[in-house]
Amino acid sequence: MAKSNTDKIFSNFKEHSVAEFFKKNKQMLGFSGKVRSLTTIVHEYVTNSIDACEEAGTLPEIEVKIHEITKNERYKVSVKDNGPGIPKKHLGKALGQMLAGTKFHRYAQQRGQQGIGAAGCTMYAQITTGKPVYVVSEYADKKLTCNVAVDIKTNSPTITDEVEEDNPQGAHGLYVEGEFGEVNYERSAQSPYEYIKRIALANPHVTISLLEPTGELTTYPRSSEIVPKKPKEVLPHPLGLGVSDIVDLAHRETDKYNMSSFLQERFQRVSSAKVDELAQVMSGKTEGIIYLDFKKKPSELSWEEAEGLIKAFSMVKWIAPASDCIHPIGAEQIQTSLAHILAPEFIAVTERPPKIYKGGVPFLVEAAIAWGGQAGRRLSNNQVTSDIIRYANAAPLLFDISGCAITQAAKDVDWKRYKLKNFEEEAITVFVNLASVHIPYTSAGKQAISQEDEVYQEIKNAIMEAARRLQLHLAGINKERDRAQRRNAVIKYVPQLSHDLSELAGKNTKPEELAKKLTLLIETKYMTHILGDESGEEGLEENGKEAEDADDEKEE
Amino acid sequence: MIKKTKETQKNSRQDSEVVINKLENMGGHMLKEIDEEVSPSFEAPLRSKSNVLFDEKIGCLHLGEKNETRSFINVGQARKFMQTVAIANKCKKFLKEDAHTSIRGLFYQLKFSLGENLDEELFSEQSESNPLIEDLEVSLGIKREDLNLNTDRKGVVAGPLVLRDRFGGDETLIDGTKQGRSGWMIPSDVDNGMTIEELDAEFVLVVEKDAMWQRLNEDKFWRKENCVLITPKGQASRGCRRLISKLAQKKLPIIVFTDCDAWGWYIYWTIKTGSMNLAYLANDIATPSAKFIGVTMRDIKDYEFLGNLTIKAKEVDLKRAEEMLNYEWIKRHPEWVDELKVVLKTKKKLEQDALQGPSLSFVGKYIKEKMEANRYLP
Repeated sequence: MAKSNTDKIFSNFKEHSVAEFFKKNKQMLGFSGKVRSLTTIVHEYVTNSIDACEEAGTLPEIEVKIHEITKNERYKVSVKDNGPGIPKKHLGKALGQMLAGTKFHRYAQQRGQQGIGAAGCTMYAQITTGKPVYVVSEYADKKLTCNVAVDIKTNSPTITDEVEEDNPQGAHGLYVEGEFGEVNYERSAQSPYEYIKRIALANPHVTISLLEPTGELTTYPRSSEIVPKKPKEVLPHPLGLGVSDIVDLAHRETDKYNMSSFLQERFQRVSSAKVDELAQVMSGKTEGIIYLDFKKKPSELSWEEAEGLIKAFSMVKWIAPASDCIHPIGAEQIQTSLAHILAPEFIAVTERPPKIYKGGVPFLVEAAIAWGGQAGRRLSNNQVTSDIIRYANAAPLLFDISGCAITQAAKDVDWKRYKLKNFEEEAITVFVNLASVHIPYTSAGKQAISQEDEVYQEIKNAIMEAARRLQLHLAGINKERDRAQRRNAVIKYVPQLSHDLSELAGKNTKPEELAKKLTLLIETKYMTHILGDESGEEGLEENGKEAEDADDEKEE
Repeated sequence: MIKKTKETQKNSRQDSEVVINKLENMGGHMLKEIDEEVSPSFEAPLRSKSNVLFDEKIGCLHLGEKNETRSFINVGQARKFMQTVAIANKCKKFLKEDAHTSIRGLFYQLKFSLGENLDEELFSEQSESNPLIEDLEVSLGIKREDLNLNTDRKGVVAGPLVLRDRFGGDETLIDGTKQGRSGWMIPSDVDNGMTIEELDAEFVLVVEKDAMWQRLNEDKFWRKENCVLITPKGQASRGCRRLISKLAQKKLPIIVFTDCDAWGWYIYWTIKTGSMNLAYLANDIATPSAKFIGVTMRDIKDYEFLGNLTIKAKEVDLKRAEEMLNYEWIKRHPEWVDELKVVLKTKKKLEQDALQGPSLSFVGKYIKEKMEANRYLP
């Protein structure tokens, strides 16, 4: 890893002080409930690791270890990756300063996007155990070992016990280890165990392992050697932002811009003519929208003014944001990892073009259905149930299940139409990834997708598309089963018939020879059937259904 | 595929070599089909009601032109096909060994498991094998007796006829006048090594009931009237019908005497025209010249005492009478139409036994009188 490259990645670090805020509102950031808190910690470290590896063009290899210190209370978590490591000068900011992550101010589609990231975990360790996190960072020719903590008053990193060594082999990677309280480990649907599995499912290029407190090691080796392309960085589009985003961006603006140039420089598709249009809307004459002085310094933008600005954005026509910043996982990749991890009997993956919501935010839905094999969820009593696994930009969404548009869309599909009598009891995994620079999350916890009409409908259509292919497959299985049954119903009489027929004809034909020929005849006959000569009625019926579905989709 | 050749069947049993050839040809055709990569099959005339026709010229039922093909590679037919070939093969063995068995014996010969992996027997019930024997008969144009399969013996004969029976290496002359009180039991196969040596009768009287036969035998009716006296003991077996048919070919009038009820009529018509079930054999076992002497409803007019001896007709008798009115081979006879209409109107029936009302020997007198008056139903 070249030094200049590593530097470049971390040269964008900026500071923002919300440490106090975090301490008081940790539940908003995923630290609520003992199991969820542990999953959030794993999530923060793992997504950081994958993003860092991808940026450096490395195939990620990640080891997660969870060690129990006090049951149902205190656990040690460590995550090791083979990424570029973090140089000394950025380390403190990356792990010991809130909102100083690689993501917050950069509008590229990435997994994390919370901006709390690893520093949030450091803070959580601190406030629950009073201990700093232990870090080993190998980068370029250095190996740095230290403890990192957050000075909550000033939101600045405190680095202690620092040891810097040479790294002659040029090893690279980051090892983070922290001790966390108010957490609990269990293998539930929202546990780190499930999280890691889902990471593996959506990221076939990642090798990831989990060592559980029980000592059990689960490894998901990569099934693809392709590192996803680096996400393209784009400026935010006015339609993709919420009030808090605008306030955050404006308040972090240190250059001496006024609002007019701030909007033009920091957003895409905002021209001076658009600013004039906005100024027109916000001249104080529009009902329900307050006045905004566009010569005002961004850092002085009030919440109310930001609200007005958002309203004004929605009243002006915009050129749609560039959609080339959307990076789906890719149908082939999804297919590979589902096959690899779930070993299902059948997989259908959709490939659909990007769509737009809120009048201008591009997004893309990838849906997949895995059926049979290890698909679905196995309950403790070995009962099989269907499983809906949700992703936003390939990051698993484990919480807020019922409030999520993906869950809703999957449940709203009329599965009976697709030959699944009882969706809940099928060995089926419905995989949905929503890719967008602006994921419409329901809350700051970022664990559920809100029911935006366009997004919900597109998710449902994508699932239905995959379901149609499943239906055809299931119909095929039925046909296959019939065919096999017919074949067997005849073939079982071959030995007896061959014996009698060879004796009856009295021509010294060997029964074995006859049996062979008869078997071949039977196999051929029932083979032809499935290849289509008898598929008449069934085929028509299926086509009919297909057409029906297509119509539905149009209506919807 | 073997086409049933519409050969005129010889009235005697087919030479076993000929039958073996037919069976081997059947197998040979199937082998050829397999080599031509088509499903082995054989063809047989359709034996459903729709293909049973009445031949007015001859006066018997026969099978029509409709053929059906039995094919092995067909889920619905595979088992039966395999079973039919198994029967054919087994019968070929019987023929080669000159061994005979009953259709029940055949069933037991073929009642075995199809293999360790199959929870299935080649045949598990005789009701499965019986119709397949008929399939073979029809398809090959032979009778089951030709396959060395015996049917149940039923029926008794007495009277002035001498039969030569070559059986099991022995040869016996059977004198119909020397069978004592029980008569000679008619075998299932009256063709196989069986010839009529002497026949000195003027007619044949077929009596439905054994009790009535015994009555007439005791009364020396066959001696007094110089007739062959036969009872099929209810429905006539194939052997019995075949014997009647053979006697008819010797130009003897065949006179049938049954109850005046559904069962009695059925027995008569089966003897006369053949049954629908065995329509494929009708040429051999039907006796179109047979005449019905009684008991008839008209007899009540001629024999007053019978009026008090009627019994109430059962539902089945009435239903049968109605059906018979629809059969073309019956409704062409106005006498029968009248007779059946009386039955339907009065809802009564008459049994043979009622003729013993005035005296035990009245039966003989009744028959003689009716014969003299030529009062038959056709």
